Amino acid sequence: MPPELVERQGGSSTDDSAKALAGLDALDTPTVNRVPWWRRASSSVLPPVVALVLIVVIWQVVWASAVLPEFKLPAPMAVWDSFLTIVADGSIWSILWTSISRAFLGFAIALVIATPLGLLVAKVPVVRSAIGPLLSGLQSLPSVAWVPAAVLWFGLTDATIYFVVLLGSVPSIANGLVAGIDQIPPILPRVGRVLGARGLASARHVLLPAALPGYLAGCKQGWAFSWRSLMAAEIIAAGPALGIGLGAYLKNGSDFNDIAAVFSAVLLILVVGIGIELLVFRPLERRVLRARGLALS
Amino acid sequence: MTTSIESEIEHARRGRTAHTAVELSGVGKTFGTGTGAVTALRGIDLRVAHGEFLCLLGASGCGKSTLLNLLSGLEEPTTGTVSVNTARPSFMFQEAALMPWLTAARNVELPLQLAGQGRGARRERARELLELVRLDGVGDKRPHELSGGMRQRVSLARALAAATSTDGSAQGGAPGLLLMDEPFAALDAITRDVLQGELLRVWEATGTTVVFVTHDVREAVRLSQRVVLLSSRPGTVVREWSVDEHGPELHDEITGRLRQVITSHAA
Repeated sequence: MPPELVERQGGSSTDDSAKALAGLDALDTPTVNRVPWWRRASSSVLPPVVALVLIVVIWQVVWASAVLPEFKLPAPMAVWDSFLTIVADGSIWSILWTSISRAFLGFAIALVIATPLGLLVAKVPVVRSAIGPLLSGLQSLPSVAWVPAAVLWFGLTDATIYFVVLLGSVPSIANGLVAGIDQIPPILPRVGRVLGARGLASARHVLLPAALPGYLAGCKQGWAFSWRSLMAAEIIAAGPALGIGLGAYLKNGSDFNDIAAVFSAVLLILVVGIGIELLVFRPLERRVLRARGLALS
Repeated sequence: MTTSIESEIEHARRGRTAHTAVELSGVGKTFGTGTGAVTALRGIDLRVAHGEFLCLLGASGCGKSTLLNLLSGLEEPTTGTVSVNTARPSFMFQEAALMPWLTAARNVELPLQLAGQGRGARRERARELLELVRLDGVGDKRPHELSGGMRQRVSLARALAAATSTDGSAQGGAPGLLLMDEPFAALDAITRDVLQGELLRVWEATGTTVVFVTHDVREAVRLSQRVVLLSSRPGTVVREWSVDEHGPELHDEITGRLRQVITSHAA
């Protein structure tokens, strides 16, 4: 007698089935190991701190051994003092604000341009074959290369800076979105279609959320490129209309042979870059990946 | 069990023998043209009654996926006509294919959302359907937190949500058409066995019409009321059996016939 005939008749066998199912669910559900926060913190915070301390120690030792002249390699304390000077006279805030506000505005404009561009390249074959290679090519072209042309076109104004920043970050963000869309498992758009998603609804409910991890990776890279391009532009294009950002501060240090200021500027640029990555992109990415079960614990 | 599901059962009983849910006549499908053309299906005549559970059985290359695509309207036949007299057909695949960024409940809600239903109504409906597949309480979990069998049941709930509501008019709960493309093939034997029983229970409870594709003769005999054997390259209907009219020897008979079909392809 086939088992389904028995099952179709009965209340008690339905209960059995429910219990079997509950048992299976309990056995098969993936278990999650929760690591206490302090252990996670110690394993993620301790190693970089130790590395940083080591680097400073090595730096101090090399400086003390005096293999390099003082005007080439400053002591860690001299750099710290130089940093304290701009903190004391308050100029650090205007320097940081000038650069960071530019980077953010530039990045925001880049997002607005790159997102529809990426969608077009990913979904319209003609557009892809027309400008896809160009977009990848632009990504490998250092955006500093645009500074001379931008200075000729726009003069020493903010427009020059933004132009360079956009050319640095738009290709990264657009390419990230294209990669994100290309990597969507084909079954998902298909399911979307079967469930009734067409056109814009499909983009909103299936395509964009599915491409989000790749898009976010592109944004992260786009931010790095826009920060990098901004510094290059600020170092090369200096003028009264441009104010003093981190790049100009670095250039001034170099012009005055003040190696301590140069070091403190480089470190500041590094700290801001890493800080934005850690405070903005890392948590965002972690949240997106964890929701999909993709994040490494 | 909630009232709307009860009304569905009622509706299903009344509608079960009324008229055909799906009718294919002389359906053929050819991909490409000229010398490179591949004929996937030829001369398929098939009729599925409302509320019927039909299994399509066949080896690789029998055009079963193409046939389901024709039924769901994803593809158009080259010859013949396909008529589907149900609510919009919905699909279930070998993979659960849940949206990994949505919770289980939001996955079930998705087809309702796409059909323009309000938030409250679709939330309620998703809760009912998850309860129907015995997944009450896991609505807030993400697909990666569920086992393969649970994911496939969420997928079933989602397919039911899609099949029983179109154009926002869910209140009739018109039984829809469920197209299943080897939905249990990727599961382990124990889970598959339990889910087959669950599928039958859900089918009885909702009165949907089911067209179920499988490689597995045992599965076909256990689940369906009627088994249709397809040949390969091109797919044509070889024979069909009504499961209720045959005894336990049916399994061997179908297997034997399937062997013949496969052997005929040996070069």
